[in-house]
Amino acid sequence: MATAMRVLFSRLLGLFRRRSFDAAMDDEFQSHLEMLAARFQSHGMTKAEALQAAKRQFGGVTQMQEELRERSSLAFLDSFWADVRYALRQIRKSPAFAATAVLTLALGIGANTAIFSLMNAVMFRFLPVQDPKELVKLQMEAPTRTVPPGDYSFTNAIWEGVRDQQNVFSGAFASSEVQQIDLASGGAVQYIEGVFVSGGYFSTLGMRPAAGRLISTSDDYRGCPLVAVLSYGFWQSHFGAESAVGSTVSLRGHPFQVIGVTAPRFYGVEVGKNFDVSMPLCASALFDKRNLDSHGRWWLQIIGRIKPGLSLDQVRSGLALISPGVMSAAMPEADAAFQKRFMSTKLNAVPAATGISELRGAFADPLRALMAIVVFVLIIACANIASLLLARMTVRGKEIAIRKALGASRRRLMQQLVTESMLLSVLGAAVGLVFARWGGTILVRNLSTGRNPVSLDLSLDRTVLGFSFVIAFLTGLLMGILPALNSARVDLTEATKTRTPGERTRAGYKAGRWIVAGQVALSLVLLVTSALLVRTFVKLMTVDLGFDPNHVLIVSIRPPWWASDDIKMKPEQRAIIDQELERRLRELPGVVSASRSFIEPLGDDNWIDEIVTDLSSARSEPIYFNLVTPEYFATLRTPIVAGRNFNDGDTRNSQRVAIINQTLARNYFSGVNPLGHRIEKFATSKAPEWIEIVGVMKDSKYEQVREKTKPTVFQPATQPFDVATVEQYEVRTAAAPKMLIPEVQRAVAEVNPRLPVEFHTMAEHIDDSVAQQRLIAELAGFFGALALVLAMIGLYGVLSYAVNQRQVEFGIRMALGAQRSSILRLVMSDTFAVLAGGIIVGVGLSLAIVRLLQKMLFGLSPYDATTMLTAIGVLAAVGLLAGFLPARRATRVDPMVALRYE
Amino acid sequence: MVEPKSEVFQGTLDLMVLKTLDVLGPLHGYGIARRIEQLSEQLLRLNEGTVYASLLRLAQKGWIRSEWGSSENNRKARFYSISASGRRQLARETENWERFTGVVGKILQMQSEG
Repeated sequence: MATAMRVLFSRLLGLFRRRSFDAAMDDEFQSHLEMLAARFQSHGMTKAEALQAAKRQFGGVTQMQEELRERSSLAFLDSFWADVRYALRQIRKSPAFAATAVLTLALGIGANTAIFSLMNAVMFRFLPVQDPKELVKLQMEAPTRTVPPGDYSFTNAIWEGVRDQQNVFSGAFASSEVQQIDLASGGAVQYIEGVFVSGGYFSTLGMRPAAGRLISTSDDYRGCPLVAVLSYGFWQSHFGAESAVGSTVSLRGHPFQVIGVTAPRFYGVEVGKNFDVSMPLCASALFDKRNLDSHGRWWLQIIGRIKPGLSLDQVRSGLALISPGVMSAAMPEADAAFQKRFMSTKLNAVPAATGISELRGAFADPLRALMAIVVFVLIIACANIASLLLARMTVRGKEIAIRKALGASRRRLMQQLVTESMLLSVLGAAVGLVFARWGGTILVRNLSTGRNPVSLDLSLDRTVLGFSFVIAFLTGLLMGILPALNSARVDLTEATKTRTPGERTRAGYKAGRWIVAGQVALSLVLLVTSALLVRTFVKLMTVDLGFDPNHVLIVSIRPPWWASDDIKMKPEQRAIIDQELERRLRELPGVVSASRSFIEPLGDDNWIDEIVTDLSSARSEPIYFNLVTPEYFATLRTPIVAGRNFNDGDTRNSQRVAIINQTLARNYFSGVNPLGHRIEKFATSKAPEWIEIVGVMKDSKYEQVREKTKPTVFQPATQPFDVATVEQYEVRTAAAPKMLIPEVQRAVAEVNPRLPVEFHTMAEHIDDSVAQQRLIAELAGFFGALALVLAMIGLYGVLSYAVNQRQVEFGIRMALGAQRSSILRLVMSDTFAVLAGGIIVGVGLSLAIVRLLQKMLFGLSPYDATTMLTAIGVLAAVGLLAGFLPARRATRVDPMVALRYE
Repeated sequence: MVEPKSEVFQGTLDLMVLKTLDVLGPLHGYGIARRIEQLSEQLLRLNEGTVYASLLRLAQKGWIRSEWGSSENNRKARFYSISASGRRQLARETENWERFTGVVGKILQMQSEG
């Protein structure tokens, strides 16, 4: 081993001693030859003869010098540098080619890096905390669902049970969702992102403060003083260089004392949602006591750090053991059936090294799809450069032949050619990283919507850089290997002849055709994919919502759950105010009609219950409910297709009535007129009541644009659901809805100046709800088009090149009487072959791949024939055009010119 | 005839060069070539250039050292001499070699039994 090290060291030194080594070797060999010659001379040879004999006996002097030179240093490194220098010279010689190649690669690699860095940030990156792999998050597991799904599904009672009874975690904490918190102490609202955390939050995560101290268990008890810890970023943007510790910030109108600042780059455990300020859990009681006391407020998540030495399974069984105790202490008020199910709920733990993320569920599929798309684009781009390199190889055929003749080995030649493509690829990657940084930021900005801001750390960490490096390496190899293999086949005698291009380039041309056929196949896949995604978006935008969202202003006068009780009011008081407000809004100039509802249409909110009917007691599916005023149907322009609308006769004391939608009518009353029939609703603890169906309305979207129409029951707002307040206002306006905002504000203030009012238009909201599809459609469309263009450039390039090379042949054919049309046929038949081959393979590939898109599509099947045929049509048309241009040039060959050339 | 590029040949040549330097003291490449030629009684015809490859291998392993001097007929020449670690290596290799040739010899002298 020591010997091997010594050899390596000596060779490393050799790298720097090249010149002196060469000189010494020359001297040594020379004197050896002279001594040998002198000996032969003394045996009676002439001087010339002796020298000849000496050389013979010594063996090939040059070969030996080359061999020793190789052995004296790290030959591969040495030749590598030579290759890089040579490649740089090549790039300088043809800057246009190099620029095209580098730019194409930069786009390809940049797009890949951008999408990957997004994937990395959303899906793979570990939380920037101590030993993230030891973290697990808790989940409730029940045979049937008893709690809301999602990450924030624990009550404070459950958390306190876990905290006090668990023995599997070295630390555990509960925290709330990151939520908007008003920083202003009066005046204009200024929202920042805030989070409530239990005392163990920072210590469990192993965080240290950048200043002051962090929230600890001694800060978190009922009746605790109001303290806050700022994030590093928020501290810097709001306090600059000044110390924040000890100062006071107003949060939702209450003064909180700042006790510390978190370390830089720590923003909490929810990926994509950074907090600006964290407060102890106990402080949430200030806004609503029920946060801590209610067994029905599901708003926390629980994360624990596994005790050293315990396995995940041991943690799970430890949690299962304490589950019954925790559940019985945290039992919500509900009917017996629910309570029984609740008792059988078990706590489970799942790894949480990458944190919590709602983004992950929503974006995993789209990101994978985009990743696949950009990989395809990169392969197509690679193929283009490979064809270019191939074409250049034939031009450089003579150079390569000479190098071969001078003794360059096949391996050595290939090494040099691959080095050239690697260099291009590395340069492309370097520029691509800049694009990626830039593109990634734009992507994140487009993912954010007003209601749902997304902030992601897209810095180029080791994973991302490693990814780009691997991509660049593979790219370089992929585009270099084919031309290199091809060049290694260059035939010495053929190549050095002055001019017989036809024969020599046939192999290169064939390889080029294969590449282009592959490109055609891949771009068909991309075209089909992007067409499906774009059409999905178009369908989403043009789908019949069942109402007219234009010219509708949504006014939410909904006090948040943390508002103080004098704003929240009792439902009865609130009902009076709401009726008054609705009346005033209707009377505003410019208002066509106004209504109220409990659930805002497409508001990402729902109210689900199960029903039985007087015809059947099967409870087969969740039914979606809403409470509306009679004007709702006119305001949203949802027609009532049978029966009657609600009216003033439907009061608190009259028969309960409902309007159902067509889907519900079909599912529950097929072949029967539903009017006059009755349904019964299963609320959790109320005595059942029969509700009479008085009308059927047209199907309309309830929660989201892309949902399948849901069976829906609308009830009048006057027959109240005991806790619900119907405080979502829809206002249909004559002019642009937003122009009405000041007047609405004034009207609300006249009734009660403390009521919080929020506005948005329905159209805006729909835009928000399809923002993700829009982004994906745009990106897919862009990359699909890019792929098409690249493939066509490839086709055009290869055919043009072939036509140029065959000019003489065409000249001769024409001189011998061939018609222009037959020349055209000759060239176009190549185009046909390439396109047909590519399209056939592409159709097969597409059919295999589109299945994966299923979940992302709306309103069309992944095997949609129109989309497939259109994509094929577009590809074929553009491909034929790309092939026709060089073909037409072929027919214009002047036989005389072509022949004179020979 | 051993293929000159084979590792067996290289190893053998290295051993011969090392032994030559051990016995004759500092010597230049030409001298080593002459000595091997003489001892092998013309049986081993080698391209004399390969001696230098062997010398480079040995030098890189630290088993020989070199110095510039002038040859008998006043030509500039590099003189190689064996180092202490080279001697130890030579002893090891000699022992290995003898054991190896002994075994091979025995096998080759085997008579068919019966």
